[in-house]
Amino acid sequence: MKLNFRILAIVLLILSSISNITGQEKKQNYGKATDEIFPYQKFQKAYVYHFLVPLQFNGAGRELKPPSDLKEVRIGFLGPLEGSVIVSLGKQMLNGATLAIEEANKKGGYHNMPYKLMIHNDVGAWGAAANEVVKMDDEKVWAWLGSIDDIVSHVAIRATLKMEIPMVCTGDPDPTFTETNIPWVIRVISDDRQSSYALVNQIYKKDSHSRVAVIRANNRYGRVGIKIFSETATRVGHPIVIEEKFNDGETDFKTQVERILVTVPDAILIWGNAKESALILQQIRAIGLKQPVYGSDRMVSPEFLKIAGNLAEGIVTTCQYNPNADNPKLKAFQSNYFKRFGQEPDVFAAHAYDGMNIIIESIQKAGLNRVLIRDLLTDLKTFQGYQGVTGKIVFDDTWNDIGDIWMAEVHNGKFEFNPSPPMGTIHQTTKTGSY
Amino acid sequence: MRKIFRKNIPRTAVAVILCGICSVAVINSQPSAEKSPANAHSKDDAKPMPVYGHWKNFTTKDGLPSDHAYCVRIDGNRVLVGTHEGLSVYEDGKWKTYTTKDGLAHNGVVSIDVSELTGDVWIGTFGGLNRWSAGKFETFTQLNSGLPNDLVYCVICDGKDVWAATAGGAGHYDTYTKAWEIFTEKNAPMHEPWTYGVSAGDGKIFIAAWGGGVIEYTTKTKKFKDYTDPDGEMEIDLLPDDGIVHDITTATSYADGILWVSTYFGMSRYDGSHWKGYFDHDSGLASNFINFIRAKGPVVFICSDKGLSSTDGKSWVTYKKNDNNNDGMAIIKNFGRNDDNTINKTTKEIPLSPSIAHNFIIGVDADKDVLWVATEKGVSRGELMK
Repeated sequence: MKLNFRILAIVLLILSSISNITGQEKKQNYGKATDEIFPYQKFQKAYVYHFLVPLQFNGAGRELKPPSDLKEVRIGFLGPLEGSVIVSLGKQMLNGATLAIEEANKKGGYHNMPYKLMIHNDVGAWGAAANEVVKMDDEKVWAWLGSIDDIVSHVAIRATLKMEIPMVCTGDPDPTFTETNIPWVIRVISDDRQSSYALVNQIYKKDSHSRVAVIRANNRYGRVGIKIFSETATRVGHPIVIEEKFNDGETDFKTQVERILVTVPDAILIWGNAKESALILQQIRAIGLKQPVYGSDRMVSPEFLKIAGNLAEGIVTTCQYNPNADNPKLKAFQSNYFKRFGQEPDVFAAHAYDGMNIIIESIQKAGLNRVLIRDLLTDLKTFQGYQGVTGKIVFDDTWNDIGDIWMAEVHNGKFEFNPSPPMGTIHQTTKTGSY
Repeated sequence: MRKIFRKNIPRTAVAVILCGICSVAVINSQPSAEKSPANAHSKDDAKPMPVYGHWKNFTTKDGLPSDHAYCVRIDGNRVLVGTHEGLSVYEDGKWKTYTTKDGLAHNGVVSIDVSELTGDVWIGTFGGLNRWSAGKFETFTQLNSGLPNDLVYCVICDGKDVWAATAGGAGHYDTYTKAWEIFTEKNAPMHEPWTYGVSAGDGKIFIAAWGGGVIEYTTKTKKFKDYTDPDGEMEIDLLPDDGIVHDITTATSYADGILWVSTYFGMSRYDGSHWKGYFDHDSGLASNFINFIRAKGPVVFICSDKGLSSTDGKSWVTYKKNDNNNDGMAIIKNFGRNDDNTINKTTKEIPLSPSIAHNFIIGVDADKDVLWVATEKGVSRGELMK
């Protein structure tokens, strides 16, 4: 018996030394991915796993005192407000941020100094966001909130790192946004990695489809979102059967829809903005395709319902929150928002409201020092589990929001929201794994 | 035979032997730094790494406009430093600062290079590109020139040509013809036009493209080639030494036929046929988060968020400041193989008093016997220790 224990102890010792030899052991899968859908996990361990430990900012600046002659506390805003195809989303985002600022100022602002929003337009052109972040640095903002378009956000985060300004993203779901290892940015909206996992689960597991055709926006939003969906679908044994693209503003999708038709899919996924998605849906039905249609988060909008009309019935998409949740904070926000702006808040307004409230709370607690504000935003304690109007915000080690994804389904002309199916069961239920 | 085995050899010993064999197999199955040809040198054929000491630090108290220094460039008897509040020049023991009042495009100066042909100083700022020539600042912006974007993260001179890395693409300016070219995803193998670093050597330009690895441009043939992380995944590095460690590249530097590439996830070395990756857990690298690199001869200086590292690919010297005082140390690590093919690793620490100004390093330049370092809390000058 003693001998067996000795053998066991030695084996354990050797095993622990093996784990040291490999250099880095993963403690959990990044992005809440199951082993089934984690890259290469079926075949071999990776040499290095990133994003399992939060990166610290080791620079200087925590000792800096705030200026003594301040008359207002400036917070930056960057969003598509003119010259972009997503201006309506940007305006909702600005409204959400504005409402949070106005409410904070009614409560006395920062030590009786008002918060002031320094508003910047992102025109969606390459590189332009960098210039806007420079302007924010010149304006001496303490933190900033933005944006929606991936090409804007990616350019902006590199500039915000250089200028060391804390940034809270509330509208860009590009998974790679927080995969850049920049310790100055957090994201307060679930990303397209989580949405893709949820869609894969819904389409292949819950609804038992196997031949899915994809039509997506020919921009970074469409490309990156579908990349995750496509890779995940392949890993569970169902490579997508076709990937068609369309440009923003396009209205005739005959060519793409005809190509989809010949692949004989059993479901179709549209990944794009509301208007184009609705038009595609019309043309899919017009050509005779009756398969179930799924969509990305931007379809959850009145614009989509208005254009699609009755054809929207039964459409299933993802959404980063449940606007019908029985949440008193949400109800109050929706009521106040309507009173202030005369319209219902959308997903970008709600997340901007949460994000701006997080910025304000971090300034209230940390004081006027960018590094200390950053430290609070990223300590994974102060705002971990933050209960906002969009629900509970859960940050991973890259400060990415990996909170719940909701499935939105159109019934009687309205979206109804339900929790997405749990991801842990994807591999148990797929029917035709081809590995 | 089985009986003899059972009888004469204790089970514990069997277990130890078996586990030992297993662990050796695991060691050998791990692609190792010491196994790559780029690193397959014995300890004896490596030249000793330079070690710098006698550090002197400069801050606003000494005349700098800001302690937050982004870059440093040695230019003969003077040293040019880019800070958040302007360009500072150190000459004859004194600092002189230039700002927008003198003609700088923006006070945030993030990159500096000096033309070997003309002596002109090229300055990348938050608000455009400057040529400082004959005492005058000429400004290039995206509105008055072909500069792709006003935030110039890196500028280099390559003969008559000037290259600028910006978030709107890489810009090439021919100082003879005064013509600009812009390289983006439309005319170069980039995923996106976000470029953050550029270096030159042996007739090639090496662009660090954010998310796109390294774009190599051969000036004679005008052909592009890209180097990306072979596994194509952001959250892992599948295999060591198979290519660039990550596609989020921050800088490149080329010297002695070696291309060095930095990322926020580690560093890579390319000798033209083999890639070698370095991480903080398997090398002397102070940190995987690397802001900038500069190669001089066989040695590359690595600006990380946890100190300044330097290496020739085999030996490492890292300079670190203590948290609680101005002292610090140079940590020397040597990796090699013994005659019996076992891995040899030695570590030696040399106390430094004072040390570098801060451990968050953003810029570096070396020349002969001196090393200048730009940090978040001042600028440091070290001398080669004999």
